[in-house]
Amino acid sequence: MSEAPDTARRVAFRGGGFAPTPRRFVGAAVFILLIVLAEIGTRTGVISPLTLPKPSDVLATFGDLYRSGLLWKHLGPSLSRLAVGATLGVSLGISVGILIGLFSYIRAGLVPLVAALFPIPKIALLPLFVIWFGIDEGSKYALIAFGTFTPTVVATYGAVDNVDRTLIRMGQSFGLSWVSIVRKIVLPGAMPGILSGLRISLAIAIILLVAAEMLGAEYGIGAYILEAGALYDLERLFAGVVILSVLGVLVSMAIGLIERRLLVWRV
Amino acid sequence: MITLNRRKALGLMGGAVTAAGLATPALSQNKKITVGALRFTSHSGSFVAVERGYFADAGLDVELKFFQAAQPMAVAIASGDVDYAVTAISGGLISLADKGAIKVIGGALSEEAGIDGQKILASDAAFNAGLTSPAGLDGKSFGMSTAGSSFHYMGSKVAEAEGVTVKFKPLQKVGAIIGALKSGQIDAWSIVPHIAKPLAGSGAVHIIGSIADYLPDYQVTTVFTSTQNASDEKAMTGDFLAGFSKGVADYNAAMVDKTGGAEDETAMVDLIHKYVYTDRPREKAAPSIINGSMRLNAGAALNMGSVEDQLNWFKSENLVDAKVTLETLVDASYVETT
Amino acid sequence: MDIRLSGISHSYGEVEVMRDITLDVPSGRIVCIVGPSGCGKSTLLRFIGGLERPDRGEVLQLGAPPTGCLNPLTYVFQDFALLPWRSVAGNIALVLEDHGLPRAQMDEIIQDVLARTKLSDFAQALPKQLSGGMKQRVAIARAMAVNPAVMLMDEPLSALDSQTRELLMDDLIGLWTRTPFTAVYVTHNLAEAVRLGHSIVVLSRRPGQIREVVHLDMPLAERGLGDPDLDRKQQYLWALMRDEARAADAELIHV
Ligand SMILES: Nc1ncnc2c1ncn2[C@@H]1O[C@H](COP(=O)(O)OP(=O)(O)O)[C@@H](O)[C@H]1O
Ligand SMILES: [Mg+2]
Repeated sequence: MSEAPDTARRVAFRGGGFAPTPRRFVGAAVFILLIVLAEIGTRTGVISPLTLPKPSDVLATFGDLYRSGLLWKHLGPSLSRLAVGATLGVSLGISVGILIGLFSYIRAGLVPLVAALFPIPKIALLPLFVIWFGIDEGSKYALIAFGTFTPTVVATYGAVDNVDRTLIRMGQSFGLSWVSIVRKIVLPGAMPGILSGLRISLAIAIILLVAAEMLGAEYGIGAYILEAGALYDLERLFAGVVILSVLGVLVSMAIGLIERRLLVWRV
Repeated sequence: MITLNRRKALGLMGGAVTAAGLATPALSQNKKITVGALRFTSHSGSFVAVERGYFADAGLDVELKFFQAAQPMAVAIASGDVDYAVTAISGGLISLADKGAIKVIGGALSEEAGIDGQKILASDAAFNAGLTSPAGLDGKSFGMSTAGSSFHYMGSKVAEAEGVTVKFKPLQKVGAIIGALKSGQIDAWSIVPHIAKPLAGSGAVHIIGSIADYLPDYQVTTVFTSTQNASDEKAMTGDFLAGFSKGVADYNAAMVDKTGGAEDETAMVDLIHKYVYTDRPREKAAPSIINGSMRLNAGAALNMGSVEDQLNWFKSENLVDAKVTLETLVDASYVETT
Repeated sequence: MDIRLSGISHSYGEVEVMRDITLDVPSGRIVCIVGPSGCGKSTLLRFIGGLERPDRGEVLQLGAPPTGCLNPLTYVFQDFALLPWRSVAGNIALVLEDHGLPRAQMDEIIQDVLARTKLSDFAQALPKQLSGGMKQRVAIARAMAVNPAVMLMDEPLSALDSQTRELLMDDLIGLWTRTPFTAVYVTHNLAEAVRLGHSIVVLSRRPGQIREVVHLDMPLAERGLGDPDLDRKQQYLWALMRDEARAADAELIHV
């Protein structure tokens, strides 16, 4: 080798990539680019007004909605439906999930039931819920609660199953009571899984909002979107969809905040 | 260098002939078009024209395309998948016209004095609690498919005439409205007689009034097409309306005016039963088909007064843009208007 | 309080893991248990701690646990078993909370064990901020907080690197010298055994049986790294175990 220095080559670097690093503003740039393209397309007529509304018109519609006070008239009922329905579904789901995680009989009895309920398109049950819970708020709460219940159960008992068994053994070896083990070891240990399940459940709750407001809702973002669809009013349709998206982003951010506060201990 | 051989020359000439053919009435062109329809008796004009060859006589090879609801049918016209259809005037229809996609070109179904028209219904519970006439609608819930639908218009007009306020409940689909009315989740609704009468007959709901008392000469449904067909395919559109009108004339004679006697009515019921209530045996379908007979506009004549009233109502409710004009919605060049 | 194991045998299904183990753990002494992996050391420790029941034989507590003892038989785990969501002080508080002690007394105990394990400055730190050695010191502090009659230590230093292991061994010796405690100390590391054990129980490969019990009289405080006497003991132990270990190693492949 030393007698042939002219063949010396630098070792080629091949270790790059596969390491996602945060790139700020790229996400926002993609959004803005798409919106600008849509605006140019609709203004020049390349995109027909039947295909896509002008983004600026959507913004104006949103402005009207806000100024007329209708925004709050629609948002208020929707938020309360989301809050009540999701609170019911999630709290029931977490409770049942924990019971399944802790007791073998409950697990054997309920896991197949939950598996059977999970794939039911909840929207198909809406007419039934209207009969059971009334056409007013009851059926809407029930639909959202039912829709959030099953994913929460599955996420929760999975999270309980994943709690480090050695920690539970440790609790037993120090003579901790059953209640203490559940409260101080199982629940906090399952919290990361429960919270990530919550992300999915709440997104489902927002999706179901439109379905819930199909029957008998005068006000609500879902009703607003359905009405806009029936009137073929694309500006209102898009304004409503954007409100739902923003709602989704806000919920996700809120859970992120809770995670950061509650799960500081995570490595 | 362009060489022009015999075959190419013939092809070019053929093209010229076709182009010339389009400019003249389309008779015997056997042009393929798609007509949208719902499985309601009010669409019988198209059914009869297909079955009795009136479209074919007008030079059109019509394929019927069936829809579950009026809304997707209107969108299909706008997208060019369907050429002609019949539907009620709704906020969605006006919106599509405002976007330059569709035009109303004729009338289809009308309320007419002396002929059983659309009924106002009350749920059993509301009826027993005193809702026995539309005057008692104050504070009651009224079913509709969506805001801006014809149900919304009718309910509003009745409430306005009675000086009451009703709460509208959007339920998306006719089936859902019927379910809600039967179970007493909503108090009232209005619907065409061939649905209203069997419902009332079952005792679950009660007929408490007629729409005709509030909206005489109400233009319930209209014939519409794409703006492009209306402005660029005048011959084809004229041919369609001609065929359609023949179907309508047969229907009115057999079912409404009954000038053809029982035999004619039986034949017409048989024809309609091929399209409507196909899931029921003929003897069960027949009363519904006969009960549901309402006048179809002869010659697809259009009641402009009623259309204008509807348009104004949709504007006043802020359901459509306030700048939409009657001309945007209607191309009145094809049929007689009143 | 002494511990007596008499005639303990156990099988997991078809697999016999332990045969006729009889052993005394005298108060104030550290008994090391060594043996090839899979010979049943951890299982034996679970029997002593009451986390599992042997098929035959019994584990006896002789005499009463000392006054103020909250959990007579207390484990120190190989992987520390700290709650990651609780601070150092919180992890120690965990094992005291169920006993209804007044707040002040609990704080006092926590202060005391943290001081003894030189962790006072880290009371509020979370486990993720600590090195492996620190984590095991927290686990030891936690075990001492309940003032156990017998500490059951299952390879407590095996997850640590060798320098940290030396430091912790010194700490353990220091702790024992100041207040002698009773411990059953399971390890596969012979160097640890000769540094910490007053007696060393050598188990055969599975089914685990007692091959020999080696006693070391040298006081713990005098046992240093590289002491020739200890090296000889360690070589003697290795000679006892070598063939067993090799056979156990070969056997595991067929399991
Ligand atoms: N719960 C159990 N079920 C079945 N077999 C087990 C169980 N626990 C341990 N064993 C088996 O018993 C033997 C002894 O295990 P263990 O006590 O962990 O050995 P050591 O700690 O000495 O390495 C091993 O072969 C192991 O596979
Ligand atoms: Mg082990």
